Amino acid sequence: MSLQSDATLALKRVVIISIFAAIAVVLSIVESMIPINLQVPGAKLGLANIMVLTCLMFLRGRDALSLIMLKTLLTAFIFGTFSSFLFSIFGAIFSFIVMYLLIRGFGSSFSLIGISIAGGIAHNIGQLTAAFMIFKTTKIFYYLPVLMITGIITGIFIGIAVKYLVKSLSGLTLFEPFAQTK
Amino acid sequence: MKRGDLLIIGVVLVVALVLLVPRFLGNNSSEKKHNDQRYALITVDNKEYKKVPLTEEEQMITVETSHGKNVLKVHNNGIEMHEADCADQVCKSFGFITEPYQTIVCLPNRVLVEIVGGEEGADLDVITK
Repeated sequence: MSLQSDATLALKRVVIISIFAAIAVVLSIVESMIPINLQVPGAKLGLANIMVLTCLMFLRGRDALSLIMLKTLLTAFIFGTFSSFLFSIFGAIFSFIVMYLLIRGFGSSFSLIGISIAGGIAHNIGQLTAAFMIFKTTKIFYYLPVLMITGIITGIFIGIAVKYLVKSLSGLTLFEPFAQTK
Repeated sequence: MKRGDLLIIGVVLVVALVLLVPRFLGNNSSEKKHNDQRYALITVDNKEYKKVPLTEEEQMITVETSHGKNVLKVHNNGIEMHEADCADQVCKSFGFITEPYQTIVCLPNRVLVEIVGGEEGADLDVITK
């Protein structure tokens, strides 16, 4: 393992990012097909966040960032939602920044559950802020408190999912060089 | 679950409740004005598109712009999104709205529907003119 060159590591990173991006896109599609209406506009399960968070656990921040860009671009292509691309990217990047800072700064004080809750709510706030800049009315934030509560619930489930995923992936050879002892 | 997680959950819950509680308390005052004629103010791209009185009888309003097409349905003194050609269909999940603080937003089509009271609506008109 110690003889592994930087080039091999870099290649493995690219492979992981690509696989994760593909899965994230599939999860977004699956999510859009699940007929759960949470009765809160803008509330969603955020299944794709599983991949972003898992990526943050194994790879560097910039790798997770490229995963987000890839995922957002690909979903925009597939759903044909370029008009809302700005909103998606705003939410995704804001969520990424919050999760990245929590993991790198206070990683020991939070488990994946807390981080995914914070990331999910940051995603909502980011999107609403983007909407606020377009519509210029604070009424946009009307549903935020309800979104925060649904964010706690979905965040707990996403956090648990990531925990199991990280555990099983750590056993794979591809992820071995990136596995953390956390 | 670590202590930090509980802290996050606690903080989020407190903030959500602080934002929600005044809303429940404020509801009573809006009851008084219930007899006022209310309007749905439809804006596209931040520009007023149309202002429709919220009538008891049914009427359809089509909002067609370069961003897309939305059909709103007015009935029972309220309004709801009936049809939208946007991809995410989030606007439909706003449901049927009747109260002045409620909104319907269709992000992809840049459509915003707000409910304004009679007086407030008159003021708004003066300002925009």
